[in-house]
Amino acid sequence: MVRASTFHMWKLLICTILASCLPAHPLSAAQAKPPLATPAEAKLIADFDARVKAYYDLRDKVDEGAARQTQSKEPEKVEAQKKALVANIQKARATAKPGDILTPEIQPFIKKLLKPAIKGTDGQENKNTIKEEKPQVELKVNSPYPENQPLSIVPPDVLLQLPKLPKDIEWRFVKKHLILYDSRASLIVDFIYNAIP
Amino acid sequence: MTATRRLHASILALTVLAGCGAIAEQPRLEQSPRQQPPQQQQPSPGQLTLPNKPDSLKFAVIGDTGTGDQHQYAVAEKLIAFRNQFKYEFLVMMGDNTYGGESAKDFENRFEKPYKPLLDAGLKFYAALGNHDTPNQRNYKLFNMGGKQYYTFRPKLGVRFFALDSNYMNPEQLTWLKNELEASGSDWKIAFFHHPLYSSGGRHGSDAALRDQLEPLFLKYSVDVVLSGHDHFYERIKPQKGIYYFVVGGSAKLRQGDIGTTGLTAKGFDTGYSFMGVEIVGDEFYFQTISDRGVTVDSGVLKRRPTPATK
Repeated sequence: MVRASTFHMWKLLICTILASCLPAHPLSAAQAKPPLATPAEAKLIADFDARVKAYYDLRDKVDEGAARQTQSKEPEKVEAQKKALVANIQKARATAKPGDILTPEIQPFIKKLLKPAIKGTDGQENKNTIKEEKPQVELKVNSPYPENQPLSIVPPDVLLQLPKLPKDIEWRFVKKHLILYDSRASLIVDFIYNAIP
Repeated sequence: MTATRRLHASILALTVLAGCGAIAEQPRLEQSPRQQPPQQQQPSPGQLTLPNKPDSLKFAVIGDTGTGDQHQYAVAEKLIAFRNQFKYEFLVMMGDNTYGGESAKDFENRFEKPYKPLLDAGLKFYAALGNHDTPNQRNYKLFNMGGKQYYTFRPKLGVRFFALDSNYMNPEQLTWLKNELEASGSDWKIAFFHHPLYSSGGRHGSDAALRDQLEPLFLKYSVDVVLSGHDHFYERIKPQKGIYYFVVGGSAKLRQGDIGTTGLTAKGFDTGYSFMGVEIVGDEFYFQTISDRGVTVDSGVLKRRPTPATK
């Protein structure tokens, strides 16, 4: 009996030491994982994913000709192709309005997802990081993010809570508001007011 | 107390100690005896302290440069003059490459004009993105980002650089970094990005959230040196868990007197603008930091401690 108990204690000791010596995987660090979605929430996410994909596909469709984003040594060309892409997206989404992608239905769920990353001491640190920059940006769907304003840092564990986005579409903050940001065109795709307190 | 209880108590104590990090990782990088505090071995202005060996890797580090104002030009002038003594082959940029805009004129005024002699000499600039840069800068070829927000390059056999986008450290980037570090074997590993994991800056300081994600990878895959900007000064950080950190964010902007008392500082300079010259010779990393007045404000050599792969 004593032997069996001692054996288990040694096993526990070895496992604990091994675990403490192994460097943490970056994605399994102390941060909380997003909570499991209820069926209703899963439906909301699926709907959101479909809307983002529709935007992504549209952008890919208009990212052509003069608007094709290629590398260049000439800053004039880099500027011109970006402007052309912005114009093409704005034209293709001329009727876009707030809530088209971040629908009123998903907004409370996104806020709920953000909560674990902004509560407690670590959460306060995340909020401080997000709000470190105070960009002066008018939130307007389909409008360019002003080049003379800094972009917020989005802490890694905040990103981990939020739905994954396709290439060149990012989550960013403008003070306490969350925006869906097209990093290829530097456009505001959609936003949620007061996503964090 | 029975023998079993004593054993259990010992096990518990050991377990707690292990959890508290008492079984600590030893530093991988050692401070060589050649590394002297500048006040003890102050070179005369303009004096090259780097060994300047023929087959070494030579590069320069600049950060937070994109103002287009006289301070950027003053540092650029010293960079250009420095190259007459020390033929560095490329430069790494710590982000905030163009403040206030990204029009063609901004790229010209805040990058191409100040560094024209270096660009004309064929030197490459490798940029990381700062919080004042949009990801669109990846398409500007003179930043050598290969169309990517984060990338790696190997300018010489045995030395690999990892340029990260610290504004947006998403799981994809972390996975990419892990894979690239894993594949880099015994190379020198130098990471650079905008936000410092360690800094004594009063305005910004250490980015703890980013550090939680990156430091485990840096330790696991033996990253040797980490270069950052964001805080507008120069700071050499005391080795943290064996890794050397530098903040080089004062190459055009300056936050005077911003270096606070944190216990992190090996050497700080927040009364002038600066850049850093680096030379890698075998397992040694030599550095010399020079102000906009041409004064050497820090210099030394870091000896790379052999990793299992390099033994």
